[in-house]
This record gives sequence, C-alpha cells and structure tokens, in this order.
Amino acid sequence: MIYDIGMKITYEYERPVSVGRHLLRLMPADLPGVQRRLSGSLKIDPVPSERRELQDFFRNSCVEVGYRESYAAISFEITARVECVAEIPSLDFSPDLTTLAVEIAGYRGLDPHAPHHFTGPSPLIRPTPEMAAYARELISPDQTVFSMVRAVGEALNRDLKYDPDATEVDTPVEEAFARRHGVCQDFAHIMIACLRGVGIPAGYVSGFLRTIPPPGQPRMEGADAMHAWVRVWCGIETGWVEYDPTNALIVGTDHIVVSRGRDYSDVAPVRGILRTSGDQKNDQSVDVLPVTVGG
Amino acid sequence: MTAQDRQFDPGRNRHLAGYRTLGGVPDELLDQDGNIRPVWRPFLDHFSALSDKDLARRFARGDQYLRDAGVFFRQYGAEGSTEREWPLARIPVLVEEAEWNSISAGLRQRADLLEAMVADLYGPNRLVANGHLPANLIAGSREWLRPMVNVVPRGGHFLHFLAFEIGRGPDGTWWVLGDRTQAPSGSGFALENRVATSRIYSDFFADSHVFRLAEFFRSFRDALHGLTDGPGARPAILTPGPLNDTYFEHAYIARYLGILLLEGEDLLVENGEVMVRTVDGLRPISVLWRRLDASFADPLELNPDSRLGTAGLVSAIRQGNVTMMNALGSGVLETRALMAFMPRIAPELLSAPLMMPNIATWWCGQPAEREHVASNRHRMMIGSAHSTRLPYESEETTVLGGNFRSLADEAVRNWLVSDGANLVGQEAVTLSTTPAYENGKLVPRPLSLRVFLARTGTGWQVMPGGFARIGQGPDANAIAMQRGGTVADVWVVSNGPVNTASVQSTPQRPYVRTRPTVLPSRSADNLFWLGRYTERAEGMMRLLRAYHVRKAESSTAGAALPASLEDFMKFSGIDPDDPVPTGLLHTINGAITSARNVRYQFSTDGWLALTDLENTARRFSKTLVPGDDTARAMWVLLRKITGFAGLVQENMYRFTGWRFLSIGRSLERAIAACNTLAVFTEPDAPDGSLDLAVELGDSVMTYRRRFSVFTSRDTVVDLLALDTRNPRSILYQLTEVRDQAAYLPNASVNDQMSQLSRAILEAHTSLAIQIPETLDADALYDIRSDFEGISDLIGETYLK
Repeated sequence: MIYDIGMKITYEYERPVSVGRHLLRLMPADLPGVQRRLSGSLKIDPVPSERRELQDFFRNSCVEVGYRESYAAISFEITARVECVAEIPSLDFSPDLTTLAVEIAGYRGLDPHAPHHFTGPSPLIRPTPEMAAYARELISPDQTVFSMVRAVGEALNRDLKYDPDATEVDTPVEEAFARRHGVCQDFAHIMIACLRGVGIPAGYVSGFLRTIPPPGQPRMEGADAMHAWVRVWCGIETGWVEYDPTNALIVGTDHIVVSRGRDYSDVAPVRGILRTSGDQKNDQSVDVLPVTVGG
Repeated sequence: MTAQDRQFDPGRNRHLAGYRTLGGVPDELLDQDGNIRPVWRPFLDHFSALSDKDLARRFARGDQYLRDAGVFFRQYGAEGSTEREWPLARIPVLVEEAEWNSISAGLRQRADLLEAMVADLYGPNRLVANGHLPANLIAGSREWLRPMVNVVPRGGHFLHFLAFEIGRGPDGTWWVLGDRTQAPSGSGFALENRVATSRIYSDFFADSHVFRLAEFFRSFRDALHGLTDGPGARPAILTPGPLNDTYFEHAYIARYLGILLLEGEDLLVENGEVMVRTVDGLRPISVLWRRLDASFADPLELNPDSRLGTAGLVSAIRQGNVTMMNALGSGVLETRALMAFMPRIAPELLSAPLMMPNIATWWCGQPAEREHVASNRHRMMIGSAHSTRLPYESEETTVLGGNFRSLADEAVRNWLVSDGANLVGQEAVTLSTTPAYENGKLVPRPLSLRVFLARTGTGWQVMPGGFARIGQGPDANAIAMQRGGTVADVWVVSNGPVNTASVQSTPQRPYVRTRPTVLPSRSADNLFWLGRYTERAEGMMRLLRAYHVRKAESSTAGAALPASLEDFMKFSGIDPDDPVPTGLLHTINGAITSARNVRYQFSTDGWLALTDLENTARRFSKTLVPGDDTARAMWVLLRKITGFAGLVQENMYRFTGWRFLSIGRSLERAIAACNTLAVFTEPDAPDGSLDLAVELGDSVMTYRRRFSVFTSRDTVVDLLALDTRNPRSILYQLTEVRDQAAYLPNASVNDQMSQLSRAILEAHTSLAIQIPETLDADALYDIRSDFEGISDLIGETYLK
C-alpha cells in the first residue's frame, strides 16, 4: 500500500519568539519489513538559522532547528510518499506470561528494541494498581501474550469513550483512566500502563492513519491529526506487535509509523523551547491518501 | 593501659574524663586497649592545655569566621526552606598519613572502575551483554540518559570530580558507603570547615604537619583550564541558582578558583557551540563544571519541565564542543543496587579485586539474593534499588529490616518478591566513633567521611582531608545519621612538614595581571537593578522621613502639611498612612532578590548590610506609629542603606558589574530628582515646597552653605538640577552615567559612538544648556523620559 502524506503544523504566538529551538519528530520512518519511505521533505517557515538531522535513542529521525531572529509564527510542512508492507501475524507463537518473564530476563541487551525499556515507569506513565487490576481481570494465565493484548485492547476500546475534547496533551494517565475517556494519546498511554502492570513490555507509536478508509469500512478515529497507538513485545519469537486501541485493531497497512518510544514524551512531534511571553495557538492538518496503481 | 598513658596528666586530660567508647565499633581517638592513638596526641595535648575561657574565645573566633563568610546551612522542611547556622563540630577528625594513603589508593582504583563502568554503560554495554549487570536495572534508572548513549565525551573522560562517602567498619577497615558521581557537593564546605577550624587552633595548626587543601584545588583548577580551548578561554561552574541548597558552595568555589559562575539562563547554544550571554555579546565556553542534576540541563532533550537548563546543550555535547564535568548521565553510577555488582565487575574491568570494599549489597531482582535478604532481614537496611541517595540521607524510605519484627516473615518475603527488582538489601553497617565536644567534655560520636577526587593531568588526585559528618547521638548504626548532626574538618597528619602554599601562589614571573572575567548579562542586569532598587528605597525613606517630621510638627505646632506631599507619596508608590509602606518593603525585597543572584560578586558585608536593612524594616513595620516615631525610624533605615551604598562605593572593585550598579543608581536618582523638582518647584507650589525639595534631594547642608537663608526657586533648581558640583544634582548623575557608560563594552565601535553613547550625550547636552528659568515641569518631564529611554537602551544593549 502506497500513501501520499501531507501534514502542516502551524504555531502562532501572541508575542514574537526570540531565540527559539525546536526538536521535530515528524517524518514517516523508514522501517525494513514494515514501511519504506519513498520520498520525504520537511519545509519549515521561516527558514531556521540552523538545522541538523539526528537519530534519537529509539532510532527515530529527528530534526533540530534553531533561530537567531525572532518570529511570530512558525510552520512545519511534511510531504512524503510511503509504502506500507507490514504483515499482520497470522499465527500466534507468543508465549504465556511466565515464559515471557523468563524471555525478558534472558534478553541481555539495552538496544532500542530491548524489552527492558518498556517494562517499568516512564516519564509520562506510572502504572497504577488500578490499571494492573483492570488488565488482570481480562486475562487468564493459560492465554498467550498476543491474545492478552487483544483482550485488553478490545476491552479498553469498549470501556473508554473517544472524546477529542476530553484531554489536553498533559492529562495524567491515571486521570484519563479514572474518567474512562480521552483521545488516541490517552488510549495508548492507558493500554501501555495496563500491559506493563501485568508484566508485558509495551511502548508508544506516533504516526498517521489513512484519511479515507478502504471501501466498505468505517472511517477511523484519529485520521484528521497525528495518531498514536501501542506496540507490544510478545516474546523472542514474535517480537514487537502493534495494536491501535482507539480503533481496536492489530496494526497493518493503514497505519504509517513516524516515531516510537516509551510514551509520548519520547516521540513528541514538536518540542520547542522558546523565549516568549503570552499565549500561542496551533493548528494541524493531515492528509493521508492511497496512491492508486498507475496514478 | 600502657606505661606511656599513665604519664598523662589527668588535669590536661580533663576533657576525656568519662570518654567511654561504644562496644563493637572502633574509635578514632582510642585504640582497642584504650590508649590514645599517636596521631591524636599532639592535638589532644594542645586542646587539653587550653582553659575553658580560652577555648570559648577560640570557638567564637571560628563561628565568627563562618558568619562573616556567610556560610549557612539550608534545610528543606514542610514549611519551605530555612537557613540555619553552620553546624561545625569544633574538633577535627585526625587521620594519619599512612592510613590515608591506603584510603586514597582504594578510592583512586574505585574512580577508575566507575569511569570504566560508565564508559561501558554509554558505549558497548558489555557488562549487560555478559551478564555482569542486569539490563532492567539500567533501563529502569532515571539517571541512565538515553540521549547520551553512544556520545563520547569531549576529552574522552566521563568523570572528573568525584566524592565517596566512607566509614570504618567493626573490623577497623574502611568501607565505601556511597559513590557520588553526578555533581558531588561538599568540597567547598570542606574548605570552609578547614578555614574555621584552623582559626580555632591557629597557633597549633601552623606547625601541625596537617596536609593543606590548596594544592588539590590548584591542580584541579589547572585541569579545568587545561580542557578549555585556549589561553583566553575560561571554565565555569554551572549552578542551578541561588535557591539550591548548595549554592553557597558553588559561589564560594567559583570565587576561590577564579572561574565564572553561570546559570542555564546565561547560556545559549548556537551552531552546536555553547555561548555565554555577556555584556560584551556572546562568548564561547567549552568547559562546564556542572553542579546541576543532569536531567535539568537541557529541556529540549532531557526533562522538558526544567527551567534551569539550556536548550540545545545535549546537542552541543554530542557535537563534541563542550566538556561537562561530570558527563551528563554519570549519575547512573549512584544507583544503589550497582554496589551489589561492583565487587564482581572490578576483576572484569580492572583485572583486580576492589581494594576497598563497599557496603555489602544484594539486589532483590535475583531469587537467591532475594532469599538471602529475606532470611537475614534483621541485619539489613532495605530500600529502593534505584535510589541515588545515601542510606542515611533525609527523605529516604530505607528502613532497618529489624524494624519489621511486627510483620510476619511471610509479609516481608511477599514484599521482596512482588517488588524485588526495585529493592536492595544492604548490610546494616555500624560506624566508628570520633570525639565530639559536648557540654565541656569529649564524647564518642559516629563518623562518616566524604572524600573528594579530581582528575588532573597526572591522574586522580585525592583531597587530603574531607568533609566529616558526626552523628548526633551514641547510636553507631549508619542509618542513625538520618537524624542529622554536625560536620567537621578532616586533618590528614604527615610525619614531617607539609607544603603550605596557597591556591593563589604561582611560580610565574614576572607578575601578569589576569584578564578581567566576562560579565554575564544576567549578572549585569541584577547589579543594574540592585542599584536602582537601593536608590529607590533610599528615596522612599527620605520621603517618609520628611512626611512624618512634618506630621509630628503639624500636630504640635499646627503647621499645615502640604497636600502635594501626600499626592507625591502615592505617586511614588507609598501609602502615607502606613509608617512602613508595603511599597518600601517590596522595593527592599527587590534589592535583596537582585543581590541574591549576584551574591558572589560582592562582599559578605554588603550582603549582611542589605539583609540587616530588610530585617529592621520588617521589624519596624510591626511596631511603628506615624509621626516622630516613624521619622526617627527612617533615620535608622537611612543610615543602614547609606552604609550599604558606602560599601559599594568604597570597597567594590571597579569591574564592569560595578559600573552597571552605579549607572542604575544614578539613573534612578536622576529620575526621582526630576519628579521631585517638577512637583515641588512649580510656581504655584504651596509654601514649604522648596524646602521640601532640598530635603528630599538630601542637599540641606549644601544649600545652607551656598545660599544662606532665603530659598528661591532658581537657587533650588540650580542646585538640584544643574550644579555639577552637587553629587545629588541631575546633571551630576547624567555625567556619572556618561562616564561609566564610556567604559562599557562597545561604547564606541571604530571610533563611532554606539546608539547608547549618542543618547546619553544628547540628554547630557540638552540638560547642560538649561538655565533655572527654562527648567520648568515640562522640561523636567522631558528629561525624565530621556533617562527612561537610556535605561531601556541599556537593557536592550547589555542585559538581555
């Protein structure tokens, strides 16, 4: 599946920003076996006085920009063509929880894909007994980890209300869980906390959803802005599997990955440190359109 | 007792009467047979020979030094932070040279081990791959900073300045209780303890063969300079700022070593280089001795909530343009559970066992270790595996396993099982005792030592001395140190004479005066506003004094009080009904806040004068009644604030910062004078206004000398606005501003005047050509707006 992706994020400031610096994670990733970036460009207006590309710990590609001149508005515009080749696992080889624990303990490494980064608390996720208990209710010891992921994801999709106005970016996970509603970011954070609470390594993915659903399917929630979902480590054999709790589905070729991390703080699309006073408002528009063959 | 000890004169030994060592732990002063250890004898002889009166006088001398130096101890509690007196134990801890050498060797080896470990944790991760460290322990640490992974530090080393907390165990050997690798504090306090203690025993200390500390700091300073880019480059201390509990130490060491003291806000990253915002523009800096916890260093890549950091710092480090001492991320080495693995890692990385053991530690993430802790819980301290605090630091939830007696074995086991990976058990160590002086006699108290190591051109150097903590009561359990206590100097005693050179001494000849340091814009800004606020406060005090003198007179003699005075007070931000108006208290507070931010730039006397002023004003605000009482009180406050101004004028080095302070004061004074003259020399101003103007202008004596009795508008305006010989006149202030501004960086570029220089000259000229007749209220307000323009221009040019 090939997509043309266009996104524009703009910020307008009440008072001009002097000395601004931003770290951007906006570009669709190039992930062997999952998705291929055929082309991609990032346009920034105004043009920054410095611009560097780098890879963060989780191998996400980032762009760091800095300004010496002041500015009252800034926009980031992504244009990319991506081919999604991800395959949904057809057979479930994942172990049970006890075996999973042994496999985690046996993984001697701290590479970006090591499960150890995704088991405990992370900057925005502090697993609580309530969320662990919620997850424990849904699973039984003889289940495979993969089926547990589905069970927890489907339950959350049923019990949480999708409500774009419910939360700000910084609503604590436990609060969103207590109120049982939120946006895709809350769905992802809550699911991660639930899974980590029962000993399953889970991380956060930011990216895009196709805007128009495949024929005969309903439009997915979260397609009009950047989206978020979950990835789960299902043991040595299966490795990482992605799940979208907002839409209750195993991630296949309708999702385009931008960044991966432990939680939102690792993948924030635009981080900015500005010298300014006063308010700011921002706006985001996203288009993800399938490229028809021969088109 | 040996024959030698019996020779001791009981009178000379009177402080030791009743000195009973605790069972089961060694004592620093007495050996196991109760004999005084040789290293203590000369000091104890000296100490015992001092009369109580002499001793009291000497202790007072030490205390006075600490007060004068402004050493205080900041404590955080439920009610915010408080400053209390520095708890110096007046008896030093003595260690003999041979023993110190073996401590030093052990710690140097440990420093090498830590360097090798941190290089591995941020590099190839072999320790994890080979099973020497559990992966989840590292991944779960908040101090293992992912953005720093695979970043090789500039200069090759992660660690440059370390501290180790050590204690002597029951068998007499020294143990490491904790590694301080993030931003160790205490070395500056150790210096202050040394100065105070050596003042107490000044005569004895001079020939005591106690190793001096200066050489250690000199080598480290040289090492710092050695890592900078070139001869003109300077290293700096990066501090979290005045609200940090060890800020005093940061300021003190910066001054002692002659290096800059910077906050995150002073820095800016441009094209991967770290720059200091100075009054002379952006200046590169390449070596930062970091006293700020790593996660706060860069809000862009580390903790985004940090307001203390510098955006882009991590990027600059990644590009190899700045050396951080210690490297960001080295705090991971403080993780308590690492101690469980270090005895096995040492042979792996150094091909040698640990020379000095660390306190026995078991990480409960492993079944066998967990079982060991559970079975031996009565002699364990159980606490967080990830904690980077020492077992006995406050706000720590470590508990003695023995305290669980009320809990069933099963409950403890369950706790260890369910949360094992987050827990460690550590042997509940006891500490040796050392003499402390309490109620006129010496008593044994538990002791731990903090020892400092610096990486220099010749490898790790150990500070010959350190920072001792002395426990409060006779409980020798290390954990009892949670309850606080005192601190003491540490004397490493040589068998022969020692090098007594100070940190300043240098073999270079001929003498070359050092270049003045660059002045960070933030410091300049604070000094500028310190000048403005102190002058503003002084003006308010004069106004209040004038008002209350008249109020007192009007109530007795029935003299009319000019209504314009009350209006003018309200205009100036002070409430006439309030003897010590909040406007005045806020202004004084503004001065204190500015001063606190540049506390290290001027003398302790200046700081004390300001805090004394604030305390007095606050006290007055509760008791004063309007009239005479308040007028007299304002005399007192005025004397205090002019005392501060005098210190600034007479004692402060004429560095660029002083010029900003001076310009701030002159501008504020000139603006106030414009206001005063505009209101009180109006042709229709009520009777007494001209006298009031002279009084507010603090020129009563001058006026009488110059113009005898009769007060006329022209003479008053001439004296207060135009007379260049009156240090209170507007023109005089403007001349001052012009002269000082000429010394500021870039006052002229290629012989062309800067925008600021032009503005000042223009204002100066337009005032200088005035005559009293033409200087009416409108003209005065015009001049005032010139001054405000100059103030803004200074802000834009230098203080941003």
